[in-house]
Amino acid sequence: MLLGIDVGGTYTDAVVVSGGKVLAQAKAPTTHDDLLHGILDALDRVLAGVDAAGIRRVALSTTIVTNAVVEGRLERAGLLLLPGPGMDISSLVPERPWLLSGYIDHRGRETAPPDEAEVAVACRGLADCEVFAVAGKFAVRNPAHEQAVAAWLRRYAAPAHITLGSAVAGSLNFWRRANSAYYNAATWRHFGRFARAAQAAVAGRGVTAPLYILKADGGTMPLTTAGERPVEAVFTGPAASVLGIMALAAPRGEAVSLDIGGTTTDIALWRDGAPLFAERGAKIGDYPTAVRSFWLRSIGVGGDSFVRREGGRIAVGPERRGPAMALGGPVPTVSDAMIVAGAADFGDKDKAGEAMRLTAADGESVQDTARAVLGAAADAIYAAIENMIDERAAEPVYRVEDAVRDRRPQPAALVGVGGAAEGLAPLVAERLGVCCTVPAGAMVANAVGAAVARPTIEVTLRADTAQGYYTVAELGLRSALPSRRFGLADARELAARHLAERAAAAGIPVADVESVYDEEFNLVRGFSTTGKIIACRLQIKPGVFAVEEGA
Amino acid sequence: MAVKPFGLVFFPAFDWALTPTHPEREERLLYTRDQIVEEGLLDMPGIREYKPRLATLRDADRVHIGVPDIASHITDAHLVSAGGAITAAEAVIKGEVARAFALVRPPGHHAMRVVHGTRGFCTINIEAVMVEHLRRHHGVRRVAIVDTDVHHGDGTQDIFYHDPDTLFISFHQDGRTLYPGSGFTDEAGSPPAIGATINLPLPPGTTDEGLHYVLDNLILPVLEDFRPDIVINSAGQDNHYSDPLANMAITAQGYASLAAKLKADVAVLEGGYSIEDALPYVNTGIILAMAGLDYSRVVEPDIAAAPRGLTGGARAYLRELVAKQTALWRDREPLGNAAAAKAGDFWTRRRGIYYDDSGISEQQVEKLRLCPHCHGYLTVASEAEGHRCGYQSAFAAVVPREPCPTCRQGAKDAVLAAKRQGKYRHYIIQDKENDSLERV
Ligand SMILES: [Zn+2]
Ligand SMILES: [Zn+2]
Repeated sequence: MLLGIDVGGTYTDAVVVSGGKVLAQAKAPTTHDDLLHGILDALDRVLAGVDAAGIRRVALSTTIVTNAVVEGRLERAGLLLLPGPGMDISSLVPERPWLLSGYIDHRGRETAPPDEAEVAVACRGLADCEVFAVAGKFAVRNPAHEQAVAAWLRRYAAPAHITLGSAVAGSLNFWRRANSAYYNAATWRHFGRFARAAQAAVAGRGVTAPLYILKADGGTMPLTTAGERPVEAVFTGPAASVLGIMALAAPRGEAVSLDIGGTTTDIALWRDGAPLFAERGAKIGDYPTAVRSFWLRSIGVGGDSFVRREGGRIAVGPERRGPAMALGGPVPTVSDAMIVAGAADFGDKDKAGEAMRLTAADGESVQDTARAVLGAAADAIYAAIENMIDERAAEPVYRVEDAVRDRRPQPAALVGVGGAAEGLAPLVAERLGVCCTVPAGAMVANAVGAAVARPTIEVTLRADTAQGYYTVAELGLRSALPSRRFGLADARELAARHLAERAAAAGIPVADVESVYDEEFNLVRGFSTTGKIIACRLQIKPGVFAVEEGA
Repeated sequence: MAVKPFGLVFFPAFDWALTPTHPEREERLLYTRDQIVEEGLLDMPGIREYKPRLATLRDADRVHIGVPDIASHITDAHLVSAGGAITAAEAVIKGEVARAFALVRPPGHHAMRVVHGTRGFCTINIEAVMVEHLRRHHGVRRVAIVDTDVHHGDGTQDIFYHDPDTLFISFHQDGRTLYPGSGFTDEAGSPPAIGATINLPLPPGTTDEGLHYVLDNLILPVLEDFRPDIVINSAGQDNHYSDPLANMAITAQGYASLAAKLKADVAVLEGGYSIEDALPYVNTGIILAMAGLDYSRVVEPDIAAAPRGLTGGARAYLRELVAKQTALWRDREPLGNAAAAKAGDFWTRRRGIYYDDSGISEQQVEKLRLCPHCHGYLTVASEAEGHRCGYQSAFAAVVPREPCPTCRQGAKDAVLAAKRQGKYRHYIIQDKENDSLERV
């Protein structure tokens, strides 16, 4: 049995899943001042009729990191950058950085050394910091400078934690890595405290299974690993919902999914049963990071969206002014329209009718008004979907083949989950001209998603045969190539070995390894080929356990 | 955002090369990609990245006379590259961005009006295709093109040589020392367009100081005086001190401050073959400068190797050059009138054009009707040796924009007359007014 817990804005949901079926589910109010309290409450309720000893894994989707960022409960992290020649990002990072000398170029060659004395000075300036983030330009091609600075930090300060930019992401983008490293360091202590408390509390209930935490890209990390990489636990809520859809009704081909909640609808695009990823990484506040995440758009339309007329036209959301009038709320909502239209069955029907009367135009029946309200909500969601598809189609390409073979995505199916999915998803599907599925279990999709999310991890290998070395950024590794005759196939094989190593260190089983990216260029100097530059990234495919596996 | 963003079309064509070890190969923009992605430039709030559209054959036919046709010379890569330039320009014209840079390959500025093959790595002229697209679809008329490639932009010069509405300024390493061996001060435009072509041959070894002297004292004042609807930078980057194909001494800072002063609406990448030591830094500098961001920290790691200063001889030469071309610009009207009077009804030139990449030798005779009512029609008789299929020839006439009835008829009659004589294989009328390319 797998146990999943999703900490939502209003409720914390818990489910126990086995063999692809939901065996038990429970709800408890989310306790914002102390998330653990609500989590344990939900856990106790869901375990009421379940043998705790049979639980083989507990996975948690929590807003703990996001909340820490949003509420400004970040620990001040000393930020040390080695920007080299290039753009000055000092004013574009969340904390005033210390700029250090030293430069690694695009091929991982040192063109200027770092300076120990500068780090000593920085440590005096950062005397009140106990956590640090260090990021260097092109450190993913050679982490030596970042590692040297970390060693000097340990000499001149007493750091409780140091995050290296090259360890949080293996891909190019110094600015994003710097932001990621900063947030990782700044949430490290807060997250660690939470993780230890959660582990102890779960164990206290007789659950001996390991505790995992969900990542923004839909994978899970053992809590022990997560302690070093808390930044990857931002935005897990929407990721859980996407995984829930994957587990409950993975759409084939090109598709759209909607998680229609109380105040917002989260939209994702799918291809071949997998959701699309954000091209470069997630944004935290105003700062782009290298944290991998699903590509989602959230719009302010949900069951509780405030409904009114503006200049004769019906307007829906993005504001929420309370629950539906049918549930005693103060203003008409989308849910009231759903009740009147017969698409939902809860609360006081007369109050819902009154809500529609308040919204109706002269001489309009409440039924017509309700249909018009749902139509307006569906239109807004439909417009956002079209917008996302346009954006996808406008994604830049770097190869002739891709530029010529250009095609606008065309979803053929729609899956809806969340409290208001029954009433709205079919209307959106109608506008798209596709069929619609609202799977059973749609109400607890997030917790199901957390329960069945598979652990995932990735490595990025880059080889430069002219210089005879390769790097695996995520491992801080730079070593000699086994031979000069080294091709893409060798690179994949070597990357697979490092992936297995990294997975073992993190306690993650190696299954379903996929290549997410590769490129190979000849290095030509003076009209003859002097070597190759090869890059490849392998990952354990994010996804869900179809049946209970080894976890 | 109150300030309009900067537009970037980045198309490195990672799957296209002239030949595997050619300077124009897959690897050329690889390190530029690494640098701009690593800097985070594509994520900057003030920078918007665009996907290149595909130019159409019609876009190419509006500029070129392909023999036997343009389609048989180009690959999809050329249409994406020219399309990328159009995408960048349209983003500016539509007001979505303040300015834009099409960082694309393959390049185009050595491609001339008539195309028998590839010369100087270029097959179609991507700036010219962009300019004529803007004229046809967006009502742009007066265009200024500043070619900052180390090689003379002979193709662009050729295409606009008779057009007084297109100001073409090219600085480049002196043609006596570098491909394509043209771009001297006496190449100044045909009689109706004298002064609209300005060439600035620079001595090998010219530094930032020399370049900016020419920029400040000639290029910027002439641009100001011309009052173009749009300023285009044909942005070759092979003036860099590390470029293997040339002998100049410009730095990334020199290029970036050039871009900052020029304030081109659209820049289009041309050459630049120091793919590791120059392009990552020069391109980053130009992007930052065009986007109005701080570029002062963009410095090559081996900057110590850059030659500095300017010899006294070079300084005197540049002073003279600027004075001479200033006079050309000032006196362009009387000079044009005198040249027209000397030529009579038709201005004629004969020349040989060599296609280095294709091994083709072309002989061309151009005749421009000097018309008091319009820009005058043009005929081109072209014979070329060395095609894969041996000998090729064509006789073409170009009907100008806003033609007078006499010139429209004259163009047609000239082609029909040539066809009756039957000396050529292909007979073509390119009509700029009706936007057509017709085979007779
Ligand atoms: Zn060039
Ligand atoms: Zn005329």
